[in-house]
Amino acid sequence: MSVQKDRFRQKAKRRPLRRDAGKPAPGGPIRLDPFQETAVNSLMEGHNVLVAAPTGTGKTLIAEKLIERVLAGGRGIVYTSPIKALSNQKYRDFSGLYGAGKVGLITGDVSVNERAPLLVMTTEIFRNWCFANPEMLDDMTHVIFDELHYLDDRERGTAWEESIIFAPSHVKIVGLSATVPNVREIASWIAEVRGEPVKVIEERCRAVPLEMNWISPEGRVLGEAEAREYVRQRLERRRGRWAVPPDEEAEMAYD
Amino acid sequence: MALTGGNPSCSEVINAIQDHLPALYFTFSRGKTELLADELSREWDFLFPREKERVREMVREAEAAQPGLFGPRRSKLKQILTQGIAYHHAGLSPALKDLVERLYEKRLIYVLFCTETFAVGVNFPAASTVFDACRKWDGREFRGLLNREFFQMAGRAGRRGFDPVGMVYVRVDDRFPEQTGFYSEEEIEPVRGHLIISPNTVLSLLYWKTDEEINRLLEQNLAVYQNNREGRKIKQDLAELDEKLAGLREVFCPQVDTPACYILRSKLKKELRSLARKNKRGRPGTRERREEIRNLLKTAQKKCHHRPCAEARRKQADLAERKSRLERRMRVLGSHSRDYERDFNRVWDLLEDLSYVEGRKLLPRGMFALHLHVQEILVTELVFNGFVRDMPPALVAAILAGVDYIPGRDDRVDPGPYNLREVELLRKSLLRSGVPENFCVWSPLPGPLASAWYEGASFEELQSMSNFQEGDIFSVIRREIDLLRQIERAAGEDSELRRQVEHIRRRLDRDEVAVPGI
Repeated sequence: MSVQKDRFRQKAKRRPLRRDAGKPAPGGPIRLDPFQETAVNSLMEGHNVLVAAPTGTGKTLIAEKLIERVLAGGRGIVYTSPIKALSNQKYRDFSGLYGAGKVGLITGDVSVNERAPLLVMTTEIFRNWCFANPEMLDDMTHVIFDELHYLDDRERGTAWEESIIFAPSHVKIVGLSATVPNVREIASWIAEVRGEPVKVIEERCRAVPLEMNWISPEGRVLGEAEAREYVRQRLERRRGRWAVPPDEEAEMAYD
Repeated sequence: MALTGGNPSCSEVINAIQDHLPALYFTFSRGKTELLADELSREWDFLFPREKERVREMVREAEAAQPGLFGPRRSKLKQILTQGIAYHHAGLSPALKDLVERLYEKRLIYVLFCTETFAVGVNFPAASTVFDACRKWDGREFRGLLNREFFQMAGRAGRRGFDPVGMVYVRVDDRFPEQTGFYSEEEIEPVRGHLIISPNTVLSLLYWKTDEEINRLLEQNLAVYQNNREGRKIKQDLAELDEKLAGLREVFCPQVDTPACYILRSKLKKELRSLARKNKRGRPGTRERREEIRNLLKTAQKKCHHRPCAEARRKQADLAERKSRLERRMRVLGSHSRDYERDFNRVWDLLEDLSYVEGRKLLPRGMFALHLHVQEILVTELVFNGFVRDMPPALVAAILAGVDYIPGRDDRVDPGPYNLREVELLRKSLLRSGVPENFCVWSPLPGPLASAWYEGASFEELQSMSNFQEGDIFSVIRREIDLLRQIERAAGEDSELRRQVEHIRRRLDRDEVAVPGI
């Protein structure tokens, strides 16, 4: 056993081809995409807005543009995220962007700078404020719900629903969501409970398109058609001598 | 050979995709990320010596900021980081997760084995994403990933301005080829509402909201909205179906379903043949029926193109079936239309039985529970029965750590010096008085960790007294801090209670358990 172990250690490790070695890291997007432009404009006009776009298309940038404008106007804004760790991360990011004095963080177990104009919260805390101390939201113009599709979460979706229904009426709703097929239905629901129209901005294209592949047990890269065929054959072989499905067999008997 | 079962092994997978690194390699258990990382590290090394030095430097810095960062459990991780391999899951301490994330951002990790949580929120793009499997445990059952979940993770592939396409790879496991996932962005699942009426929701509504506002939540929540919308759509569809059915009726000739009609005649002939079979021939009534049919058939058949009638009859049956399906769905929707009102009243009744409210008026227990957001009833009862104010603080820390804690199958903690039987008895009596199980979730298991931490134990000591991973210990204590803050707020005028919980909270919120960077 130990002999084998030694041999393992001596064996040189494999190295991949490193084609991208030395290339600089990609810079973030500087100019707004048309869909980001539309979203930011609608927000500036004071609309409730629901943005649905695939991951990595720059929904955060829309939020940041809005936050910049609101802070520049001397008003306040709330940013909610579904996960505590994410709130902490956002707090650090925003502190870097706008200065620590401008940013507060409230997550239940952490509370920093509660009176700051930009408040990062978990959605649960925002919901609680809507009930218990809505006056704390008097100077807030917007609430941004990041990952709004959490509405669908069986355990936690309630916090999003109660927040949307009971947020003070002067606060505009900004929803950022992954691609969902019924984004217009969600928007018309929000419009109904808020008594105000909600603009929908949808981006279906990914900034970088995806290419789907499968990897066979032999380590071959397969396309979808090949992969489906591969799986079909595997299953058939497993069925062994009943290679032909029973239905077809029955039909053949008639011939 | 695959060491952790199944082909292709992760080494073979990486071999196949080596032109598209860095990769996020998604698995659905923490243990699997560690096993696979270990397996890959025996064969692969992705970093040049200069890069290894940078990794070592960042590791040194992180360890200087938090001694014992890797602890006894993560020495292997420390070693494989220098090969450009890492893993990331909720069991890691936040400081260690942070280090892995920073290394990833500095492009010093080429293969990162991770769980689903890595794909939520913060953007860590990669050249490719790999799915070790497409099934996960969702707390209730093992099930295939939803399209939405799949694309949340898969979408991390493709670095903007860098990769022309993002590569997504799904592993076909030779042991379970039938579990291979095929996904489509066209089939992403719609978002549905699932409002849950908790005791806090009822208390908040009664205390702060008008009847009209309460009704808004019960009658206009997303689930109701979606059901109503579906109901309206079904009504529309039904009206259209009725119209079509009416239109069909006009197709039939006046003699349809009379003995002269081809359609009726062929049906009768069929019946006649069936009655002639051996098993039916002897039955009472058969002879008479056959006679009757023969008489009916004596009528001359109408000379007609019976096709349109037969066609219409077939369509009619089709439409009738669609109609009855829609009507069934409509009945289901109808039966759910008052669910929320019923749930609301049920919780309200319970709160009244337990003397939390009297009509719309909140009693002292209700006023207390108004500020709690987790296991409101259980925590209120603990406080009102003296379990928080009048006990030694270390014991209180142990009791509150177990609130809302559901132990996993393999969770193990060495028992502490305290006896928590009294709490168990209180819980039992609440259950007996009609409080549902899900409003009384508590476990003695994590208690000893919290009391030891309160008494000043080191994080390593906590690790040695249980098999909890660092991230789990962290979240047990953080959740307790959250709860203590709620109780502090609820305590109001009761300064003795407030001082007690604030004291415990300050003792708990320290060192490794403090939130980093804040």
